[in-house]
Amino acid sequence: MKTLIKEFTKGIIRENPTFVLVLGLCPTLAVSVTVANGIGMGIAATFVLLGSSVIVSLIKDFIPGRIRIPCYIVIIATFVTIAEMSMKAYSPVLDRALGIYVPLIVVNCIVLGRAEAFACKNSMASSFFDGLGMGLGFTLALILISGIREFLGSGQLLGHTLIRGFEPIFVFGMPSGALLVIGLLLGFFNFLKNRKT
Amino acid sequence: MRNNLIVSGSPHIHKKASVSRIMWTVVLSTIPAGIAGVIIFGLDALWVILAATIAAVSTEWAFELITKRKVTILDGSAVITGILLAYNLPSGAPLWLPVVGAIFSIIVGKAVFGGLGQNIFNPALVGRVFLMASWPKYMTTFPKPFSYDAVTSATPLAALKEGKLLEHIPYLDLFLGNRGGCIGEVCILALLIGAAILLFKGYITWHIPVTYILTTALFIYVFGAKQFFHGDWLFHILSGGLILGAFFMATDYVATPLTIKGQVIFGLGCGLITAVIRLWGGYPEGVSYAILMMNAATPFIDRYTRARIYGT
Amino acid sequence: MNIQEFLTIFISAVFIYNVILSRFLGLCSFIAISKETKPALAMSFAVMFVIVMSSIITWFVYRFMLLPFNLTYLRTISFILVIATFVQLVEMVIRKFSPQMYRAFGIYLPLITVNCAVLGVAVLNIDMFFVNGKTVAGSFYYSLFQGICVGLGYTLAMLLMSGIRERLELCNVPKALKDFPLAFIIGGILSLSFMGFSGFKF
Repeated sequence: MKTLIKEFTKGIIRENPTFVLVLGLCPTLAVSVTVANGIGMGIAATFVLLGSSVIVSLIKDFIPGRIRIPCYIVIIATFVTIAEMSMKAYSPVLDRALGIYVPLIVVNCIVLGRAEAFACKNSMASSFFDGLGMGLGFTLALILISGIREFLGSGQLLGHTLIRGFEPIFVFGMPSGALLVIGLLLGFFNFLKNRKT
Repeated sequence: MRNNLIVSGSPHIHKKASVSRIMWTVVLSTIPAGIAGVIIFGLDALWVILAATIAAVSTEWAFELITKRKVTILDGSAVITGILLAYNLPSGAPLWLPVVGAIFSIIVGKAVFGGLGQNIFNPALVGRVFLMASWPKYMTTFPKPFSYDAVTSATPLAALKEGKLLEHIPYLDLFLGNRGGCIGEVCILALLIGAAILLFKGYITWHIPVTYILTTALFIYVFGAKQFFHGDWLFHILSGGLILGAFFMATDYVATPLTIKGQVIFGLGCGLITAVIRLWGGYPEGVSYAILMMNAATPFIDRYTRARIYGT
Repeated sequence: MNIQEFLTIFISAVFIYNVILSRFLGLCSFIAISKETKPALAMSFAVMFVIVMSSIITWFVYRFMLLPFNLTYLRTISFILVIATFVQLVEMVIRKFSPQMYRAFGIYLPLITVNCAVLGVAVLNIDMFFVNGKTVAGSFYYSLFQGICVGLGYTLAMLLMSGIRERLELCNVPKALKDFPLAFIIGGILSLSFMGFSGFKF
């Protein structure tokens, strides 16, 4: 049980997929314009991550080594299609906001990376908690980045204006701002890491 | 830059120029344009210039203190960044705008690369495009020249882009600065005086500015009107930030190519991009973007125009 | 089909909506491989080739297999299978004809399969050039051209970035910003500069 909890918590800080493993950046930067989008993407990705990690860990003994990557991709693509169709049906607004980045969860390095690095070598229970932790870490990173970007770029958080009379700094809602924010955040976390050692 | 001392036998030729001397001379050469800006737009312009400069110097000082590096604020480079940034702003800008811009210029345009001598991009322009993307409203509200109050007017290029340039603005007005625009860009006469000082002292060479201006003019002449070869190239040379950019920002030592061939390519590229943006882009002026893009290409240009090393 | 549309696609795909600096597709490989020019160039060519070929194949798959049989929901799965198969094919061909190049690419060749840019462009082509289940006039040529332009935009961003990063090897960059953080910041400045072309109307 203890190891299961460890598998879960490592994905949140110590091996955070965004800030430590530096994976899955494409959607992170693209959708982090508002916190709502960030949370939506986080949930969708976590769903896919959980589903694929569990299935891969269950059938890992039946997949021949040489074609394992395409097999993982098919499994992941199936879950992504489910997520895509559910989103189109139940929250079309979110689907339109996230655009092409929903099908792109298929090639999200985090999902494939965990399947290849973890799920194919571990039990179903461990893989489940690993997926959950990584998904949560990813979602938290998304919330952090999109929180900064939404607040600075539009003066709002989750659609509510926080400080009246705040002049929004538009650049943070743009791709350029995303790159700057993540560059500075990564630098900041590196700085903290260097201080510890 | 690391202090790599080149050891060789004497005799050594001593040149009076050092980094600070060059930088402060550049500061000196920008003063005519600054005076012109204040005369044309009033004391507001002076506050903007001071705000940007003080913010730039303070930011560099703070950064160097915190990261325990050598404090270099007396070499004049931060001052130049502040001044050039201010010259790219409208005089009516609220004072926090140049301050935020200057902080961004020094931190993102210079400090993150390691400081003077290592920046890839011209720091003042980095700040300017940041401000432009973040607060377009404040960056495009230009007070009327010689009115000293809150009446605004469009710059000649902006009016041209919107098709509202009804009457022909006399070239003399453009030359002397009797037009809407950024603080340091409007008075061509003052800018040319400053540029002459730098050229005379040998601190800048003519290759980049001349190539840049000629390329823009040629492109505008050929493509700038409904008929080919009918473009109003003189209007374009005297408008916008072309003279300011070509002589003071495209000549940044660090962010531009080392060889003459490279510099010519640099000037060509800047001229081309500026003309294309002015003619067909959404923005009325493209000087800042052109220079930054060519700054990005400079490492590449340097690589392929490297002077042949003797013996290879 | 007019030339203005092609010019707009070119300026958009290469500059304003640059695949890496604006759409963030292919970011992982961009940050990882843009440190040196030679590998960056090789990677760019490989990616461009895969993008162009995948654009063609996926267009046909969508037009003649998914649309007529109402299977458009299988778009994601079928596209990624096409891409994975194609990359595998490319891998085998390179291995046979130039084992040296194969070794030089190393793990990065199979990684093109998961390069967001490849799948991203395929999906973009469908979103942009198919309307309500029908093709827009000239859809195939626009899709093909967009694939080429995206490849060019990718190459441009890679080349600029690798030139800059090679230069920065000689500089005294603050320790916390070395490598990744600074690469992102530079990307941010590049992105700002490319915005100069926005609103382009030929």
